Amino acid sequence: MERRFFMQILGASSLVGVNSACSKWFGKRSSAVPYRLGIPTTCELCPNKCSVLADVKGDRIHKLNPNPANPKSRGMLCARGNAAIQQVYDPDRLKQPMIRVGARGEGKWRTVTWEEAWDFAAEKLKATRDKFGPEGTLWSSTEGFQEVFFKNLGQAFGSPNIQRHPSLCLSSMTLAYSMTFGTVPSFDLLKADYIIMAGANRFESIITPDTMDLIGGTMNRKAKLVYLDPRFTVTAAKADDWFPIRPGSDMAFILAMIHVIIREGKHDKAFLDAFTLGFDQLVEHVKPYTPEWAEGETEIPAADITRIAREFADAAPRAVFYAGRRSSWYQNDFQMRRAQAILNAIVGNWDREGGMVPNRKIAKGEFMFLPWDDPKASRVDEVEKDFPLTSAKDGVYLSLREHVLKGQPYPVKAWMVYKQDPLHSVPDQGKTLKMMEQMDFIGVIDIAMSDTAWYADVIFPESHYLERTDPIEVMPGIWPAAVYRQQVVKPIHDTKPCLEIVQGLAKRLGLNDYFDYTIEQWVEAEAKELPIPNGFEHMKKHGVVASTEAKYGTTRNEAHRFITKSGKIEIFSERLAEAGHDPLPVYTPQPQPPSGKFRLVLGRKATITHAGLAHLPWLNEQVPTNDLWLNPVPAGQMGIRSGDWLEVSSTSGKVKIQARVTDEIRPDCVFMLHGFGKKSPWLKRTFNNGAADAILLETAWDKVSGNAAMHETFVSIVKT
Amino acid sequence: MREPVWEYLIVNYLFLGGLSAGLFFVSALATWLQEEGRPAFPHIARWGALLAPWPVSLGSFLLIFDLGKPFRFWKLFFTFHWQSPMSIGSWLLVIFTMLTMAYLWAWLEPEERTRLLNFIPTKVRQRIPVKVVKWLEHDLSFWRRELAMAGFPLAVSVGIYTGVLLGAVQARPFWNTNLVAQMFLFSALSTGTATLILVRLFDKKQPVALAEMRFLYTLDICLILIEFFIVLPYLIHGKLSVLAVQDALAQVLGGPFTFTFWVLFLGCGLLTPLLIELYEFKPVLLGQGPLHINPRWAITAAGLVILGGYVLRYVFVFAGQASGFR
Amino acid sequence: MAQKTKKRYAMVLDSRKCIDCKACIVACKAENDVPLGVFRNRIIVEKAGEYPKLRMSFDPEQCHHCENPSCVRVCPTGASYQREDGIVLVKYDDCIGCKYCIIACPYDARYHNPETHTVGKCTFCAHRVDHGELPACVETCPSKVRVFGDLNDPKSELHQLLASRRHQVMNPQTGNGPQLYYLL
Repeated sequence: MERRFFMQILGASSLVGVNSACSKWFGKRSSAVPYRLGIPTTCELCPNKCSVLADVKGDRIHKLNPNPANPKSRGMLCARGNAAIQQVYDPDRLKQPMIRVGARGEGKWRTVTWEEAWDFAAEKLKATRDKFGPEGTLWSSTEGFQEVFFKNLGQAFGSPNIQRHPSLCLSSMTLAYSMTFGTVPSFDLLKADYIIMAGANRFESIITPDTMDLIGGTMNRKAKLVYLDPRFTVTAAKADDWFPIRPGSDMAFILAMIHVIIREGKHDKAFLDAFTLGFDQLVEHVKPYTPEWAEGETEIPAADITRIAREFADAAPRAVFYAGRRSSWYQNDFQMRRAQAILNAIVGNWDREGGMVPNRKIAKGEFMFLPWDDPKASRVDEVEKDFPLTSAKDGVYLSLREHVLKGQPYPVKAWMVYKQDPLHSVPDQGKTLKMMEQMDFIGVIDIAMSDTAWYADVIFPESHYLERTDPIEVMPGIWPAAVYRQQVVKPIHDTKPCLEIVQGLAKRLGLNDYFDYTIEQWVEAEAKELPIPNGFEHMKKHGVVASTEAKYGTTRNEAHRFITKSGKIEIFSERLAEAGHDPLPVYTPQPQPPSGKFRLVLGRKATITHAGLAHLPWLNEQVPTNDLWLNPVPAGQMGIRSGDWLEVSSTSGKVKIQARVTDEIRPDCVFMLHGFGKKSPWLKRTFNNGAADAILLETAWDKVSGNAAMHETFVSIVKT
Repeated sequence: MREPVWEYLIVNYLFLGGLSAGLFFVSALATWLQEEGRPAFPHIARWGALLAPWPVSLGSFLLIFDLGKPFRFWKLFFTFHWQSPMSIGSWLLVIFTMLTMAYLWAWLEPEERTRLLNFIPTKVRQRIPVKVVKWLEHDLSFWRRELAMAGFPLAVSVGIYTGVLLGAVQARPFWNTNLVAQMFLFSALSTGTATLILVRLFDKKQPVALAEMRFLYTLDICLILIEFFIVLPYLIHGKLSVLAVQDALAQVLGGPFTFTFWVLFLGCGLLTPLLIELYEFKPVLLGQGPLHINPRWAITAAGLVILGGYVLRYVFVFAGQASGFR
Repeated sequence: MAQKTKKRYAMVLDSRKCIDCKACIVACKAENDVPLGVFRNRIIVEKAGEYPKLRMSFDPEQCHHCENPSCVRVCPTGASYQREDGIVLVKYDDCIGCKYCIIACPYDARYHNPETHTVGKCTFCAHRVDHGELPACVETCPSKVRVFGDLNDPKSELHQLLASRRHQVMNPQTGNGPQLYYLL
């Protein structure tokens, strides 16, 4: 099983290995060490896809170590990545297919053979198709290397309702930057000298390589970090300036910065002339947005806004207003992100070292499978009509749920879920439960008994990432990489990779021809066109092909056409105006919590980012439960002390949770961690432990992208 | 601060080891002091000899079961680490226990020895070589005085050792002073004395004599006073020491062990018995006649001394572990 | 190489870079099979201030592999010992579980293993180091807080950092001679 993995690199030196460019802060120490035994693969515990070397002793995975060959993961593996082993050896994981026998959520199961599970699900899907057409089925999934197979099955089946995760994630941000630059760039934190982060808690919600570059940048190079967040997070602790900004007013801060920069002529005139459209409209547009005005909105002193704007512009092009990648906060999120994009544009940090850099990609091949017809029906969430600018293929989750609940424009009665726990990842759990209730059939593919699986009719246990081989994944970036996930140990239970589960269903649904291939054939086709000889062998041996040399300025020439309507960077967007939105970001004050209520804000911890992680023993012992952060001032008024039990309620639902009275949050906000308060007893460390934020979160979305707005919920608190 | 890793078994062990040391010390003193060529206080000496081996044996037994790996305790005796108080102490305890056993044997009457040996089942006894039986039956009474002399330094060492075990740990500022060893020694001797007072008072066969009580009281008053004058500088010194020691001491000066230390140890365990014993002893001091013997008062005082000895070890074991450098 | 001066392993920590992400702790647990509830390394969090003027800092902590390790001194069986290269280890077969070393460690770096009933501690991942690899915590650290190396090797990054940067050790007054160096 083990094979020796050497650091020395094949001919193409610019492609593989950690070279001096980005190893300056991070790679050196690791690369100074001779290399070890380990099977290269790719972590799946979060979207970062870090490269891993699995140390296997006998037939047991002993340890996962970072693989420094991937510049994106910067030679590190975080706590979650290290804890992945515990998913494999979790005594409570899903071990064989199961069909529900009791009522939904009652937890009575019958273990069945794969054939029985496939037959059962295929029967139900066919019955739904016969009654409601293929559009009567919903296929929802979260991103992952094998998501493509699941998605393809839904499409081949004829359903338009393929619901992916971006509208619970970063779709407002990606849309805003795409509308401005025609693409979503990366932020060169390795070289930036001045970084502003609003709510992007980069030191607790780790994003590679940004987290590593930022800590290296701020501590080694003394880059300046300005951080806005209603909470005092680890990022706040490391920042040069932390402002507990009034929630919902980030756009005011940004517009005032633009105002100052333009007023003082600190914008990059040459760049704006050459590459952008609509700067003149912007000049007029931001006139009323003075720092003094913004102080009233943001509670950040005008003098500080002015100072930060000046410092930012002076540091440009090595200055970035970091986009962040979490879900929307407010219903104006798209416009706030647009304002960020415009601020970045006017200081001319585009495609410059230490600025905003368009992503590059590593080329890879595509496996050619038999194509299917486009679905006849249109999407149930009517994305094309309600959110014409957003990606229709990804869907808008919250809007979709509303439509399904109403049965409009047509009923959706069967739901297949892959690698997702909608009961926790989608706001307003009560509504999601209702949506489940009205489903005739729910099938879940997962590695663990998530709450959604607990309410399913049939469960297909997927093999863990360490037990399976996945397609090659390309990760765009300043240091683009293509990574490969290969089997480290044979499945220890009766589980199968998603592709085989899909194939079993396809066979029974008469779709066999579309899935008539093996994972090896798929990967081989992809590997063929990797920019490296013997791509497949290379991937097996090294797990990654990457470019370690950043390239700057490739789009900074007059001939370059940005992928926007005008071919320029669009400060003023005609397409937005046509779609009935503000062509330049207009600030409207967001509602503030009425007295006696608090705004529920969300965030992550480095050990617990996703809903299933708090169950893992090594992560759980770091954060055994969640609690409600409350500032001492309101806590004092309400007579609440740390450890008191509270009943927290919103219009969506109510939960019981213990109080944590802390100075680390604004007096008008409360905060709780995600991933607790589970209904599934198979997640025993989080079952009935703490509270689920999804129960409290109300349904709200960003007006332009449809991305779920997670900070719009006001809660009341009663001491019990 | 961290959870304590040494708990009641260690408290018991330190207390019981000290008690044996005290019993032996007083017994040896009673043997060693002669009147007309015979031990001055034979009953005290004999009772001390009879009792001395047991607390320390029980304590060691408890200690072994406090080990994470009790069946590995023999490893202690296949090495000797002169820098480890526990290594020294283990050897010391073994030698001391053996000596107290021999001393006990020496204080048994011939018929008692025979009776004891008869406890060994006949079958087993027949298998024991005659030489050994002879050796076992050997009359050691002639050696009482010599064994007492030999045992003095050992008993004192055991008393000191129970304190050094804690005091030699520089990581725990609450312990890390030579005064702890002295405090534990005099507390140990005092608990031994108090136990003998109790035993003598309850001995109906040979009722306690005035001279015996006078001897025991004199001894105990001296020991308590010495202990008190060690506790006092311990507190003063600690308070005037570096921050870590001050922080450590804060545990008994307002911290979680304040009540236990001041009320249970200093008040009930040290000063109250001292006052009772001084009151009983007053006529002798003032030359007004023999000391009072009010058995109730005497039993109370002795009981409190024993309690104080236990509480002292409790406070030190737990407060000490909670002390540190941050 | 073989005839060089004797090795002396040590660690330099740049606490300012620590983001309290616990990767070192979990990596250590995996590499060394540390049971739940006990830890070979941890991160000390220090908080101060009042809203909105707050401060928070993190200090990774583990065995300091001291020059004069008090744990080794007090061990009655010789189970705790120090290697030539400075790494302090426990011979589990000789440990009787008396916990004296746990008490004698001024850094609270040792624990009683509830499964084996012996004492456990950071080994600097000696089994990895002996194969020329880095300790698990050092290798996995996302923000590269830790630098591990040979104090006696003037070419090591560790040596160079200590030569060029101000640093301190924790509680030198214990007299143990700790070998975790914290950059200032």
